[in-house]
Amino acid sequence: MVIQKVGAVLDRIGLESVRSSPLSVFFILFSVVVVFFASQFPSGDGVGPSFFPIAVSVGIIFFAGIDVLTGSETELEISEFDFKPAAVVAGFLVAYVLVMPHLGFLVSTMVFMPVVLYYSNIHSKLLLAVLSIGFPIALFYIFGRIFLVRLPEGIIPVSRLLPQLPLAVTF
Amino acid sequence: MVVEYIGQALVNLADPFILLLMVGGIFLGILMGSIPGMTATMTIAVLLSFTFTMEPSQGMILLLGIYGGAVYAGSIPAILIRTPGTPSAAATIFDGHPLSQKGEAGRAIRVSTIASFVGGVISVFALMFFSPVIADAALRFRSPEFFALAFFGLTIIVSVSGDSLTKGMVSGLLGMLVATVGIDPVTGFHRFTFDIPELLTGVEFIAVMIGLFGIAEGLRKYSQGINSGNDRVDQEITGVFPSLSDLRSIAPVSVGSGILGSFIGAIPGAGGDIAAFITYNEATRWLKDSVPSFGEGNVRGVAAAESGNNASTGGALIPTLTLGIPGDSVSAILIGALLVHDVNPGPGLYQEEPVLLYTIFVGFLLIYVFILIFGMLGANYWARLINIPKSHIWPVILVLCVIGAIALRGNVFDAWIMLGAGVLGYAMRLRGYPLAPMVLGLILAPIAEENLRRSLVLSGGSPTIFLTSPIALVIILLGLGAIALPAVRSIRANA
Repeated sequence: MVIQKVGAVLDRIGLESVRSSPLSVFFILFSVVVVFFASQFPSGDGVGPSFFPIAVSVGIIFFAGIDVLTGSETELEISEFDFKPAAVVAGFLVAYVLVMPHLGFLVSTMVFMPVVLYYSNIHSKLLLAVLSIGFPIALFYIFGRIFLVRLPEGIIPVSRLLPQLPLAVTF
Repeated sequence: MVVEYIGQALVNLADPFILLLMVGGIFLGILMGSIPGMTATMTIAVLLSFTFTMEPSQGMILLLGIYGGAVYAGSIPAILIRTPGTPSAAATIFDGHPLSQKGEAGRAIRVSTIASFVGGVISVFALMFFSPVIADAALRFRSPEFFALAFFGLTIIVSVSGDSLTKGMVSGLLGMLVATVGIDPVTGFHRFTFDIPELLTGVEFIAVMIGLFGIAEGLRKYSQGINSGNDRVDQEITGVFPSLSDLRSIAPVSVGSGILGSFIGAIPGAGGDIAAFITYNEATRWLKDSVPSFGEGNVRGVAAAESGNNASTGGALIPTLTLGIPGDSVSAILIGALLVHDVNPGPGLYQEEPVLLYTIFVGFLLIYVFILIFGMLGANYWARLINIPKSHIWPVILVLCVIGAIALRGNVFDAWIMLGAGVLGYAMRLRGYPLAPMVLGLILAPIAEENLRRSLVLSGGSPTIFLTSPIALVIILLGLGAIALPAVRSIRANA
């Protein structure tokens, strides 16, 4: 009985298990790399700086390993999802954060908003204009002028053209 | 002394700006809670950046207003379109939606409002009563007990974190691993910093939380179709007050569920959804001869679920404020909000910040009074919020996520951390990994590591220090039990 069960588990180990649990496999590989780096930390007295990262990584390898062996990642609702729109929006976000230090918060947001809004099937010109111009300016005043958060300025100093707020409303 | 603190709290809360923040927070919470898919956790994570430059009491009142408003409003789409606005409103569907189908949506929403108020108020009183007692006891805790508490927090969170124990464990451990980045607290060694100055102080866990709950959810929504599930509500909701017979009918169940929900909420990791399902289940057991039957539009079912989930809000703050152990994912973010202001949640908070604590208690009570008023007067308007297309909201949320991460320290590096966490969170959600354990791992790992290492230094490296402290031993055994119980159940179910 036990031998049969062990055999059944072993049957499941193989390329198919790895394919059905890519994220668990990724976590295992990542943890192996972490263990490699952490094992080079100085040992110190007693429990050193490497103990916790190694212990936690071994835990990840153990539990993610069980996931791979049992193939539980296959119990998914992935068929309900289309990856393309998420990848496109993630791409927009990466581009947005990438250009922000160069174009500044205001300009980059004014470019990002209409692109994402249009991609989200919003074609009303009024709505596009309000959300693409009004919203970034409102955020700029709230964060940049009221909360005094240092927002990226960029090479185009559009924000300097905007009027100052009365001192009474700043923190 | 307590009366004095309450007096000072009332003075704080009389400030028009703090009242404005409270009302604004409740409105935002109701707005987001009314829209299916916009959870209280996500709303608070995304809007956390607005509190960075505020006083801690102002920031907490804004966030608690959002929390209470969102948990309350989650019932509105649950009743009207059979889709809970927040996960904690899932149990409200059972009787709320049948009432709506009979054309009694207004009645269901009014009952839900009253029960939410009752549950919320009971939980705040539980918070005010039990917190000082627990904090006082925890003042005697040393490193072994704090390690045991952090260990317990991690294990119990994982054990209630969804369908898969192993995935919950991996998620929690990943959070713990991320928390090890930065300067080692004991030796000062730079761990995984790769000469990046921004990583010396560690990964900003608020940026990670914004990514996990904001960006990951947004990408998931785009994957499902940005305009999918846009149900329209055209049912007119009239009237303001529930009938006297409904009030009489729901009073005992609301009070009972409020008490039970407060206790369930106080269990680290339990959260509003579990509280609501348990209180609903208890109501069906105790009132099984109710007419109409539960599941067929019984107002007591709505009251049990709504009182239970709203009671979990105050309950969740008990371990959060007294022990620094989050009661649910929202309170994990609230811990982050306090830490941003150099306020450390834990037993010392009662001695260091008593006025802040009582401002939170009295403010939360006031929030539920406002929720009652707004819920009664505005039910028809809140119901219309469901009609707002998600395509209008998500681009705004994405920008708020980015600016929220940048606002943390005024640099774009944290926006990259946030995006990375978002993409990882999206992949994890698709693969069935719960995200809440990761956040809790992030928060609890530094407490666990620091106190583990301090304990071992105290004991000269001997782990028996955890066995010689009775409190630490009991807490560790409870933690092991919390892991073992679901594991045994899972093995039995698969056998």
